[in-house]
Amino acid sequence: MSQQFDETQVLQRVARLTRDKLTALMEAGAIFPDLTESGPLFVAADVARLDLLCEFEELFDMKPEALAVMITVIDQMHAARQDRRCLLEAIGTETVDVQMRIATVLAEVSPRTK
Amino acid sequence: MAEKKPKPTPTDDPYSVLGLTKSASEADIKKAYRRLVRSSHPDINPDDPEAAARFIRISAAHDLLKDPATRARFDAGEIDATGQEKPERRYYRDYTDARESRQRPGQAAGGFAGMSPEDIFAEMFRQQGGGRADGFAAAGRNLAFRLEVPFLDAARGGKARIALPGEPPFDVNIPAGLHDGQTLRLRGKGEPGIGGGPRGDAEVTISVASHPIFRREGDTILITLPITLDEAVLGAKVEVPTITGDVALTIPKGTSSGRIMRLRGRGVAQNGHSGDQLVELRIVLPKGDDPKLAEFMQEWRKSEHEDPRKAMLKGVPR
Repeated sequence: MSQQFDETQVLQRVARLTRDKLTALMEAGAIFPDLTESGPLFVAADVARLDLLCEFEELFDMKPEALAVMITVIDQMHAARQDRRCLLEAIGTETVDVQMRIATVLAEVSPRTK
Repeated sequence: MAEKKPKPTPTDDPYSVLGLTKSASEADIKKAYRRLVRSSHPDINPDDPEAAARFIRISAAHDLLKDPATRARFDAGEIDATGQEKPERRYYRDYTDARESRQRPGQAAGGFAGMSPEDIFAEMFRQQGGGRADGFAAAGRNLAFRLEVPFLDAARGGKARIALPGEPPFDVNIPAGLHDGQTLRLRGKGEPGIGGGPRGDAEVTISVASHPIFRREGDTILITLPITLDEAVLGAKVEVPTITGDVALTIPKGTSSGRIMRLRGRGVAQNGHSGDQLVELRIVLPKGDDPKLAEFMQEWRKSEHEDPRKAMLKGVPR
């Protein structure tokens, strides 16, 4: 079980965050804490995520809704990277012969090489 | 060996880090920083292994220049570019591989369900290499290490035996004049490549150990050499240690404590140039009582001689 933080602890950890800002980010769907009876609970990844959101809010004057769009795109990028890594790892365990065949097919199907 | 992140060095000029000159306006600074966030923020450039190192320098430069008061102090030379370092930051991307990462339900899961193999590979290929259409060969990641190098090896050059995880130990050449915080790049000693791609590099950050006798400032070696009272008064020829062996040094007659002698070319040699060694002389009196010396000094005190503090006390407001 990874460490969890309540609202007060999160506000302490993310210097730029205020309670209002946190509520707005949750309402906009930029952050998804565990909603419990005693209030929302955050994990370490959420803290880093809030730090990033606050950084971009300050730097680019972004509104919570815009931040939610941005972080969603970042999440999708990370999911895609994770998928790619798994696939590359799987292909990496194959023989060079198989890897070469895959690469050849890739070169044919990839729009980039056309 | 622990992992070590690069630190900003005093030579990092914050203006040049942000691609600006001293005449930049506040708006210029903000604009330059925004542009660099786009290209170097680790959360926006997760596939760029150098991004975190760049971003540390960029953030430090921005922190220094964003506040007009701090910037004015830097411009006036009151503060330098060091000391701007922040506690090591955990980026959001550091968590995105972990199971505990929480993303919008339904989107985070990813996966290849419903995709044909062709879709998957084409998708992979598009993402691979950030624009290069060179197949599945991906270079391995770079690994960061820290290595403590003995003082004399760093000054004179030498060899260090390095053991990286899963690798038989091997010797690395330490170039003469290596300084604290410098990074040695060991090509092909990082993580293995994927799909036949080249191995990444090992980046070894050097910390130079201190030495009981020698200190170093760039190419200059500094030592403090104890001399006896008679050597100071009468002059003498003494042996001085240098990083390449002992050397004879003539102490002139009537030498005061604190006098600094220069041994030209006895410092760190690199790039065809040799630094100097500076020898600070320190008069050391005999341990314990020396009745004969005391007796002589009693007599000596009676005679007339100049007061070394005379000029100092004159004209200084007190």
